[in-house]
Amino acid sequence: MSLTCPSCAAGETHSPCRSPCPRTPRMGCHTWPRAFSGSRRPPGPFPCCLLVPLSRFLWDHGDIAFAPLGKLMLENFKLEGGRSRSKKKTVVSVKRLLQDLDGHQPWGCPWAYLSYRQRRFSILGGPILGKSVANLLGDLLHEELVMRWEQLLLDDAFTGGALAWVPGKTPRVGQLVYPAGSTLDKLYFQEVSLTPGGNPQVLRDPGHIQLRGPVRQVVTRTVQGESLLAVRSDYHCALWKVSRQGRPAPLQVLQVEKGATGISLSPHLPGELAVCSRSGAICLWTPQDGLRRVYKDPDTLVFRDPSPWRWADFTAHPRVLTVGDRTGVKIVDTQGPPGCGLLLFRGGAEASCQKGERVLLTQYLGEGSPESLHSTLHLICTQFSLYLVDERLPLVPMLKWNHGLPSAPLLARLLPPPGPGCPRPLLLGGQDGQLQLLHITGEEASTPRLAGPPQSLPSRNDSLSAFPVLEPKSQWRLQERLKAPTIGLAAAIPPSTSTPILSLFQLSAAGDVFHQCLRLQADPGPDSCAPTVSWSPQATACCSQWLKALLEVPPAPPVWAAPTFSHRRLLGCVEQREVEGKVPEGLRAAMAEGRLLQQRDLGSLPTAEPPPAPEPGPDDELSKRLEAAWEGQAAAWWERRQGRSSGPRQQPKRHKRRTQLSSTFSSLSGRLELSDATSPPPSPDPEARPRPPGTPPSQELAQEHWARGVPLERQQTLRDYMAKLPLREDALEDASAPPSQTSSIRATRSRQRTLQDNTAKPPLQRDTPEGASAPPSQTSSIWATRSRQRTLQDNTAKPPLQRDTPEGAFVPSSQTSSIQATPSRQQTPVLSGSQRIRKKPRMGF
Amino acid sequence: MQKSMSDFSEELIKSTTEDDQGERCELSGTGMHFPWLQKHIETVATGGKKEKDFAQTTSACLSFIQEALLKHQWQQAAEYMHSYLQVLEDSDSCKRQAAPEIIWKLGSEILYYHPKSNVEAFNAFADRMKNIGVMNYLKISLQHALYLLHHGMLEDANRNLSQAETWRYGEKSSSQEVLINLIQAYKGLLQYYAWSKKKMELSQLDKDDYAYNTASQNMLDHSWKTSVNLGALIQIPGVWDPFVKSYVEMLEFYGDQDGAREVLTNYAYDEKFPSNPNAHIYLYNFLKREKAPREKLISVLKILYQIVPSHKLMLEFHRLLRKSEKEEHHKLGLEVLFAVLDFAGCTKNITAWKYLAKYLRQTLMGSHLAWVQEEWSSRKNWWPGFHFSYFWAKSDWKEDKALACEKALVAGVLSGKGCRYFRYISKQDHQVFRKKIKRMKKLVKKYSIINPGL
Repeated sequence: MSLTCPSCAAGETHSPCRSPCPRTPRMGCHTWPRAFSGSRRPPGPFPCCLLVPLSRFLWDHGDIAFAPLGKLMLENFKLEGGRSRSKKKTVVSVKRLLQDLDGHQPWGCPWAYLSYRQRRFSILGGPILGKSVANLLGDLLHEELVMRWEQLLLDDAFTGGALAWVPGKTPRVGQLVYPAGSTLDKLYFQEVSLTPGGNPQVLRDPGHIQLRGPVRQVVTRTVQGESLLAVRSDYHCALWKVSRQGRPAPLQVLQVEKGATGISLSPHLPGELAVCSRSGAICLWTPQDGLRRVYKDPDTLVFRDPSPWRWADFTAHPRVLTVGDRTGVKIVDTQGPPGCGLLLFRGGAEASCQKGERVLLTQYLGEGSPESLHSTLHLICTQFSLYLVDERLPLVPMLKWNHGLPSAPLLARLLPPPGPGCPRPLLLGGQDGQLQLLHITGEEASTPRLAGPPQSLPSRNDSLSAFPVLEPKSQWRLQERLKAPTIGLAAAIPPSTSTPILSLFQLSAAGDVFHQCLRLQADPGPDSCAPTVSWSPQATACCSQWLKALLEVPPAPPVWAAPTFSHRRLLGCVEQREVEGKVPEGLRAAMAEGRLLQQRDLGSLPTAEPPPAPEPGPDDELSKRLEAAWEGQAAAWWERRQGRSSGPRQQPKRHKRRTQLSSTFSSLSGRLELSDATSPPPSPDPEARPRPPGTPPSQELAQEHWARGVPLERQQTLRDYMAKLPLREDALEDASAPPSQTSSIRATRSRQRTLQDNTAKPPLQRDTPEGASAPPSQTSSIWATRSRQRTLQDNTAKPPLQRDTPEGAFVPSSQTSSIQATPSRQQTPVLSGSQRIRKKPRMGF
Repeated sequence: MQKSMSDFSEELIKSTTEDDQGERCELSGTGMHFPWLQKHIETVATGGKKEKDFAQTTSACLSFIQEALLKHQWQQAAEYMHSYLQVLEDSDSCKRQAAPEIIWKLGSEILYYHPKSNVEAFNAFADRMKNIGVMNYLKISLQHALYLLHHGMLEDANRNLSQAETWRYGEKSSSQEVLINLIQAYKGLLQYYAWSKKKMELSQLDKDDYAYNTASQNMLDHSWKTSVNLGALIQIPGVWDPFVKSYVEMLEFYGDQDGAREVLTNYAYDEKFPSNPNAHIYLYNFLKREKAPREKLISVLKILYQIVPSHKLMLEFHRLLRKSEKEEHHKLGLEVLFAVLDFAGCTKNITAWKYLAKYLRQTLMGSHLAWVQEEWSSRKNWWPGFHFSYFWAKSDWKEDKALACEKALVAGVLSGKGCRYFRYISKQDHQVFRKKIKRMKKLVKKYSIINPGL
């Protein structure tokens, strides 16, 4: 086991691993048994970044660190009374000691003046205090760190999800079952009524059951009219039967000594469960017949992998289970001889897996009813791809799709088709809140296919901008709260008279339940406007209530947390955010010049918007610096000030490195503009644009390369291709809905840019689709200003908010008419305790 | 020319460097790859030095494209793509090498869905991409052809495949070989399509017609070419259902029964091929067409029974076994029926229930109680809950009364008169089914394997 520490690797130096305890002079003989030194584990390479916290811990929580030892040494301390008459040199009078220490203790160095008593104490306590505490603590800390590091890499405790929808008496009413409370040990039952409009109504305060461990997984199934609810905790599993009135009645509790990793309910037989344990055992469990071990193998299936994670699910045959671990999935007949089985999926060549690819989730997609089309299909998710495997044709997946999720996909739900003949929606949820919607089609006989391109749904983070602007600290807390990992996903399709609706619920690790409503949309055609994403007034009220409650709670005192790398605030993290503007000009320029992409290039405001600052005077250097400092870029500001000229100087150097082939492409943008000029729609002639002196030279050089270096036939194909790619023409030409936004945004930016960056915060701009397109003259003036800015390397100016394109609200164009379209309403935190919260329209601010 | 040479050598070096990179991304110990941490880890591995500006910008640009694709913002994706082409200039040769494939994948997806894109645009893009580097030529050609096929442009697709087929670069690597085989096979499939169209035309022509001769001559030419194209691919282990099917059809048409049998036997029984139930189904259907002896058909279906006991051919298998003279086949016939009904997808298969009811009676009449008991012993603890529950009795009776009656008979025979399913159905009073229910009760009384007296 070796741990890498970011700060050490980054070159920061810390003092080497050293005991933080008093440095005792090593002399005399120690009467103290060295109880711990013998059995001690050799200390692994200790992460240096932790030494500081460890020594701080010893300082700040000395009582915890030393009290047990103090108790052990009690007979050697004399707590009260006068001078000891005893001849024993092994007893120290605490009173005297404290007196000594009290009198002259310069902070930070209590051993500056050593009295003989202290020296004796040191000799006595040295061996123990000096090593044992550190060793003991070190071991524990080491263990904890290993665990935390693994958790940081992949937290699989919530695999499968801890949120379930239990259908009720009528199709419109149901219960959400989810854990809440600070340790997730309260199981809540919240009755919810789904309205045809897609607004769920919370019927009454949720009931709850107090459990004795954190809930990791909640599974529900309705088999033969009987609703069952299974819950997995770390070391316990429990089964409830939910009556038609929605009352849960406990059936049985099971203790799993080694820790349970997965639980699944049989779709065939009421009350039958498969339980997996960390030890590698899979058990079939029914309340009537009790537990029966059907499989046991501490080793992984295909190759050796250290993860103890195991998973089991059912198949089309009620006596056959799938058994999965990180390396593969096996089909095991519970009635056959133990140990035998057939591999259903293997992380290997048949599925053309990548190196290091591991199974994260397996799920049986059949429902047990003969009507379901996919009664033999299994879903298998890895960190890269999603596979559909048919148990009749093992090993060779029927479908593989690269999901590209930036976090572990631990949640998946296959939903019933929204209408007859429609493909079935499959929801895939990443741990960090990303949601993807796929549509699976294919009859029993044919192979399953994806109907239409997969879709990503807005995540909880995306709703941040709909909240009112808060002061930075509160904003940060809100952001953190919305960013909490997703630990549960549930969906319900209420019977609806008109368009089918999909109600989506998400549970976050912070205990909030969010609701999102998706409407099925007929093919709207390529040019139609996407439906607006909005919050209803109730939702808005609910959200502000929730926010108020959130902010009222005093922030938790900073706890020591495992070091993460996220605080490095990599640019990538910032950039992940949506760019709504249709102005990738900045991006294009950045790519063309090979320089760092900056926030202003993306044409959208950073989500964490700094509060308005007072109007500064003209060319106020101090406020500029403060502004930079506010954004955490004071160093950059200083560098910029120091070496203004260094930026442009580097450009030609990089340019030299470009290969000839690349030069073909560097000129693509220029070429395109030329072809634009010749194309019918009269757009502003690019050649006529005033090119300011500060323009990076790459453009012009590239033009020359274009002329020289490219073979003729390549020039032609390139030109053809670029002319065909429907790019800039669209952005500039017709003044119909979306393109006009582009121009108006551009225009606005120019106005702001000409304000010369002094404005701390530009006026918020609402670009409506009807916004008039900018006159060409204005557009060209932007070009001028923007390039000038580029040379100044200034990033204080902030582009206007662009609120006009509802993100994600695009509907599949020509593929299928039956695709579950995007949210017409965004997520709404529904229940936090008993609160219900909805979201505001983005247009509102 | 010089430029392209350097490209090639870079690509050849690439394979080794790529592996090194893969190692680096993995975390020591676990071996698992965490794509979501890669970025952060790399920052650490390079001594905290951040990626170069351009690398950061390109990765941001890539993520914008992917995001736009997932949001179905094709227009926006195209605009980002326009910028992303700059990545071909990356000074990091590894990244530059990987770029064409990424550009192709994303670019073709954009052009596939973009409302303003058309076939010409796609063609131009594909032709351009094929010639950037050498590693992707075959793959792109194949995908290009599939795109054209999807748009019904068979001629163009065929031309494309022919071009790709003759393309060679350096020594044939194994990956290249598989791709070339695939390309040839797809070409063969196209030829098969043309052939079967001709066959259709031919079947409409008069045999004495002059045109008939030319047409049949045409077909002969085609088949020879196709067999060359298809034959190579299906030798390689894999799942090649459509190719095998069309190949066999052509062979059969020209009377090469032995060749067809060999292909199918190989496809079904070769150990190197993944287990594929379709292979056995093709073989069975072929043998059936050939009027092969029952014994032979049974032996083929026996293997299919072991792979997919729930297949609908199993009922046919049961009929074959029932007709057979051997006693062991009769026993297997019972086993097959039980196995079919084990599966969730077959629970409402009325034919299977009918067969089972009939065959149970037949078996018990033939005093083979032991067979039934053997089958029942492994099922008696879960079939009552799975098939014969009160819930199913109610819902089956509501939905399909004939099915309910058959099931009730089986339930009664297997688990006695006390079975809830049997009790529920036998209590029903229905004009049409009254007679049937009465008969059912009688049969259960006579044959039930649960003897209440014992």
